[in-house]
Amino acid sequence: MAVKEVTKNGKKRKQSSEDEVPVPPPAIMNGELEMLSDEEDGEDALSDDGGVDGFPEIDTRSDSGDDEFEGLDEEEDSEEEEDEQGDSSDADSLHVFPKAKTIISHITGQPKRVYPEIEPDYDSDSSTEDDPNRVGNVPMHWYDDLPHVGYDIDGKKVLRPARGDELDKFLSTVEDPSAWTSAFDKNTQTDKPLTTEELDIIRRLYAGEVPDAEYDPYEPTIEWFTGKGKEEVMPLSSAPEPKRRWVPSKWEKQKVMKIVRAIRQGRIIGSKPKTTSKFSFYSIWSEMSSSHPPPLPAPKPSLPTNSESYNPPEEYLPSEEERKEWEAQDPEDRERDYLPQKHSALRLVPAYDRFIKERFSRQLDLYLAPRIQRVKLNLDPSTLIPKLPSPSSLKPFPNYKSLKFTHTKGRARCVSVSPDGAWVVSGDESGKVSLWEVNVGREVKSWNFDSKIGALDWCPRLDVSYFVVAVEEKVHFVIPPNVPGPVLALTQSLLAPATLPPAPPTPSPVKWVTPPTSSWSIDTPILTANLPASSGLPTQVTWHRRGDYLATVSTGGTQGGVWIHQVTRRHSQAPFKKVKGAVQLVLFHPLKPHFFVATQQYVRIYNLSEQKLLKTLIPGIKWISSMDVHPSGDHLIVGGYDRKLCWFDLELSDKPYKIMRYHTRAIRSLHFHPSYPLFASSSDDGAIQIFHSRVYNDLMTDPLIVPLKILRGHEIRDGLGVLQVKWCNRQPWLVSGGADGTIASTFARSMGLLDVLAAT
Amino acid sequence: MGRLREKGKAGAAKAYVTRSAAIKKLQCSLADFRRLCILKGIFPREPRSRKRANKGSSAPTSFYYAKDIAYLAHEPVLKKLREHKAFAKKLSRALGRGEWSSAKSLEDNKPVYRLDHIVKERYPTFVDAVRDIDDALCMIFLFASLPSNSRVPPELIENCSRLAAEWQLYVMHSRSLRKSFLSIKGVYYQAEVMDQTVTWLVPYQFTQSVSGSFKLDTKVLISLQIPADVDVRVMLTFLELYQTLLGFVFFKLYTDTGLIYPPPLDITKDEGGAGVGAFSLQDASQSAGPSTTKTKVVEVDGRKISTKDVRQTIKSINAPLGAADADVEMLGPDANAEEADEEFVVRASKSDPQASASLPTLKSLTDLPQSLSTTLFAPYTFFLSRESSRPIFEFLVRSFGGRIGWPASLGSGSPVEESDDSITHVIIDRPLVERTNETTEEREQRVRRKFVQPQWIVDCINAGKILLEEPYAQGKTLPPHLSPFGEHQGAYDPAVGLTGEGAAVEDEEEDEDEEIEGDMEEEEGADKAALKAAAEAAAVASEDPAALRAAELAAEAAGVDFGAFEKEVSKSRKASKKKAVEGSVEDAEKDMNKMMMSNKQKKLYEKMKYSQTKRDNERAVLEAKKQAIQKQKKREAKTKG
Repeated sequence: MAVKEVTKNGKKRKQSSEDEVPVPPPAIMNGELEMLSDEEDGEDALSDDGGVDGFPEIDTRSDSGDDEFEGLDEEEDSEEEEDEQGDSSDADSLHVFPKAKTIISHITGQPKRVYPEIEPDYDSDSSTEDDPNRVGNVPMHWYDDLPHVGYDIDGKKVLRPARGDELDKFLSTVEDPSAWTSAFDKNTQTDKPLTTEELDIIRRLYAGEVPDAEYDPYEPTIEWFTGKGKEEVMPLSSAPEPKRRWVPSKWEKQKVMKIVRAIRQGRIIGSKPKTTSKFSFYSIWSEMSSSHPPPLPAPKPSLPTNSESYNPPEEYLPSEEERKEWEAQDPEDRERDYLPQKHSALRLVPAYDRFIKERFSRQLDLYLAPRIQRVKLNLDPSTLIPKLPSPSSLKPFPNYKSLKFTHTKGRARCVSVSPDGAWVVSGDESGKVSLWEVNVGREVKSWNFDSKIGALDWCPRLDVSYFVVAVEEKVHFVIPPNVPGPVLALTQSLLAPATLPPAPPTPSPVKWVTPPTSSWSIDTPILTANLPASSGLPTQVTWHRRGDYLATVSTGGTQGGVWIHQVTRRHSQAPFKKVKGAVQLVLFHPLKPHFFVATQQYVRIYNLSEQKLLKTLIPGIKWISSMDVHPSGDHLIVGGYDRKLCWFDLELSDKPYKIMRYHTRAIRSLHFHPSYPLFASSSDDGAIQIFHSRVYNDLMTDPLIVPLKILRGHEIRDGLGVLQVKWCNRQPWLVSGGADGTIASTFARSMGLLDVLAAT
Repeated sequence: MGRLREKGKAGAAKAYVTRSAAIKKLQCSLADFRRLCILKGIFPREPRSRKRANKGSSAPTSFYYAKDIAYLAHEPVLKKLREHKAFAKKLSRALGRGEWSSAKSLEDNKPVYRLDHIVKERYPTFVDAVRDIDDALCMIFLFASLPSNSRVPPELIENCSRLAAEWQLYVMHSRSLRKSFLSIKGVYYQAEVMDQTVTWLVPYQFTQSVSGSFKLDTKVLISLQIPADVDVRVMLTFLELYQTLLGFVFFKLYTDTGLIYPPPLDITKDEGGAGVGAFSLQDASQSAGPSTTKTKVVEVDGRKISTKDVRQTIKSINAPLGAADADVEMLGPDANAEEADEEFVVRASKSDPQASASLPTLKSLTDLPQSLSTTLFAPYTFFLSRESSRPIFEFLVRSFGGRIGWPASLGSGSPVEESDDSITHVIIDRPLVERTNETTEEREQRVRRKFVQPQWIVDCINAGKILLEEPYAQGKTLPPHLSPFGEHQGAYDPAVGLTGEGAAVEDEEEDEDEEIEGDMEEEEGADKAALKAAAEAAAVASEDPAALRAAELAAEAAGVDFGAFEKEVSKSRKASKKKAVEGSVEDAEKDMNKMMMSNKQKKLYEKMKYSQTKRDNERAVLEAKKQAIQKQKKREAKTKG
């Protein structure tokens, strides 16, 4: 068998087989062979000796038949190759493995398998197998169109076997039980049943096993060179062992001595003892510390309170709502990071589950939170409230409502009190002007104008008695009824003189019109100044202290609407050609020839005689709504729609001395009392605030401002509250007109007032 | 005209740097920067104007003082951190290449930083350090009670528990514990060391969770783990600093009191669970002997060592000893004797005989009786029953001079046996159980000893005197445990009871209650409430006759007779009027005066008022609750009686 294999597999093997060929009785010739052959052969011999054989070149006659796997394997390979070629051979030749017999050995007495003798002759070659088709390994489709499939050994055509149609094929698969174990043989173009060995190989391949049933992958290793009885006893070379194998190296010694010398001299220090030993503490504070100051210590956390106790008093325990509220809150928003709990015994207290978290957050505070030093104010908040004299010591001032007068049709826009303080005129938006008495509140007379009353003001002169009503682009001069004779005469002569004053050299756009004396009655104005067309409704009328000049401000018109009218000369002039910003209000200085002009954000003071700008005051108000000047002329108050009230000391600065914000809505009107140290402010919140405002003559003392009283009583209509307040001239009485449509009310008279009267 | 100033060249823009700029400047990672900040105690600052400090940008960033960062740039630790970075690179390369020997030698020469210079910088004097050890102690005690894991090595835990034991030993030795508080978070202790109050918090220890007894609670076990949202690196960095700081502080404290630091640890005792008892305090003067013999041993050892080496080693050994000796001399008992001789004698001034009024000298000050007796428990011997926590009560009792013993289940090393006759108190935390089978001896013992609950110890310490044991006896409902640290001024004080006004109201109400109850027992609560409500409504609406009428009707509907209603109305009207008259005038004036306040003052005032009302509300809520509780208790007592 070995010979057969060798002849198939190559020249080298052939050679070795030639070596082997003359060794039919191996057991006898072992000794010589060992000496002569190379290692492989020696091994072979050795293995034969040991009887644990299994090396490929095995002799079939060897008695160790059990371990021939590898040899068999190779054999198998060759057999398979044969199979491929010699498939056409008949059923006998398909039996690939030589059948082994098991017999009892005569020599050892052990059972052994014996394979049939193979004659190493021509027939032993697989090519001698009986294969009808001898075309060899050519593509069979060459014969597709031909009636034959090849040629037999004699050169005769091998005819194509009858194949039958698909039905036959199907029938054969159904009828023939062995059909599913047969395969198509393309060499003979027929189906051939597979042998049991082939089926076994297929099964093993399917199962993923080694195809060879007899191959053992786990056989014990054979130590060919070191195994028992297989040791190499003879040297490979006969050269004598060199000296260097046993004499110590000189160079190594020199190297070592060099290191030794270095160690002795201390140039090399042996490996340090491990420095993992803890460094010892020492007296670190015994040396002087550096001079720079220590950093500020971190603030300590607050100490625990009663509620943190494991057994707090019962009142500290949270109720159900408190507990829910606490749980619903975000952890950052919680005032306390724990809920008080009560445990009846110390052994029942569980671990605090947020302990580590709390420590960690403390550390985050220590290294991530910016620290600011804050001075903690330890004072009673009430000491922050300024100490002011009690209002009761600052009487008189108005503190209750004594009269109410109602305009039934519209908002009471404006009020004015006569200079003797006995009469009040009030105008509303329906165009009605009422004259009524302060003492009893009885309406004496009313005038009706065609449209909304913008402003009205009583002439401050005492020797004459009339008031001015500003209605749509007109300024009417009206004489009240029941005026004493001489006064009336003087008034009439002033307003409607027999000889008109000479016309001014420069014609004014303002036309002064006097109705003919015949048509004049008490119901109509005695004199009218027609402002230029489209100048808008005059919203303010203000008199100079002497009563000869008056100024009107019209807003909403197309052009700037400040006019100064002189009654005696019946002459009007516009003092400003051009003003920066929309003029809201104007005022005459009570003593000096100065003129205050309030635009939306600034108050400018002009000297009228020199015709130049003196000062610009910056109240810091978004929109100025009202303004009044103190009778001394040194102080000015300005109110704005943004609720601010600014007090200016005109001698000090152009910035407010004091800014107050106490009304909840826009300030509408301000007025200083002409004789008492009082002023009042009214606002859209429906309240009137009375202040005591004492001004000192020496420049060192600041003015004293004391809030005295808040008067309520006006209703708020359409977001508008008290529209105008005016003081009565000689009494601490106040008149106010409100937007609660129709009510113009008088607040006045305190007990203090009676005292004053008694005193004077 | 002055020089033009360029923007961003001076002022806040220069004084502050943002965090990212700081990191860029220091050329280190964010983690290293954090570590440095923690170690050096550098924290962000709040500039007055963030925009100006950030060169016009208002992006949210944290700012540091530029000088702080410049100061960090010279830090030796920063250098070591950079070295460590290089080392880590080298090591990973060596490991990647499989060069084990070079990796090992690298590992052996790993750069290690020391923190002693930082401790010295941050705390130039010892008092500074003592003032700031609160947080350090809290952390040490926390980590001493934690289990070790991969992130927290066991050596660290061990070192922490050693430091904790050393601190407790010192406090017990110097008798400096002042107050203690059992809270739900743990046990607070307050000691006075070097005239500084040091407060620390110790978590409850759960020895039972180890032995797996009845109190094994999952919650307990979870709490001992470090939660996931906690950055352990940060905690460990803090711990690093705290360990060093505490080491130096303890060294100074121990050597100043003439003790050896570190106190030697008896390993067998420690393994037996002796806790604090495993350490033994040694006087420095006594220990001088054995250590000198040690140097002899070194000499005798018989190895060939050059004379120079010997001299060097001797020098190195003697150096710390010498220092310690010096300390001892200064503080030894002889020194006290000298002090006694050198007492300050006051000599009357010739010019002014009155001026020789007593001046406080050191001696007179030390002779003064201390306000808190530190030998409170000296006459007593305690025995812990097994369910009470040994570390807490051993520490408390021993710091106040008492003796304490415990059963073997709480650890070894108990100085007192349970059968000892000297035991006066037993600290017991168990409910009272009737015992049937006890011998006469046991019974006698039980009668002789006082059984108190653990709270008694703490309350005694806080009160500064021995309280009556009766309310704290075994099985009794304990009186509330109050914080010894006090609350803010004007806060509700549960010990005082209700304030005058509240008490008066309560009295009145009680009287009324009684009267009404006398009148009509059957119709209680609802009617009374109705009457009161009606009366109040009437009082409010007394000006308005219609409202009064309505209130009358309501009262009638509630079934209150007219006479009672009238009385009630007049009463409440009077009260309200009186209040109103007093209040309104002043309030109105005050309100008006507020107009004259400046905006700043107004805001401050509002803020103060807000906090004041909040505090008042808190107090009122607590008082109301207490009142309700008292009333309920009274009612319960009545129904029982």
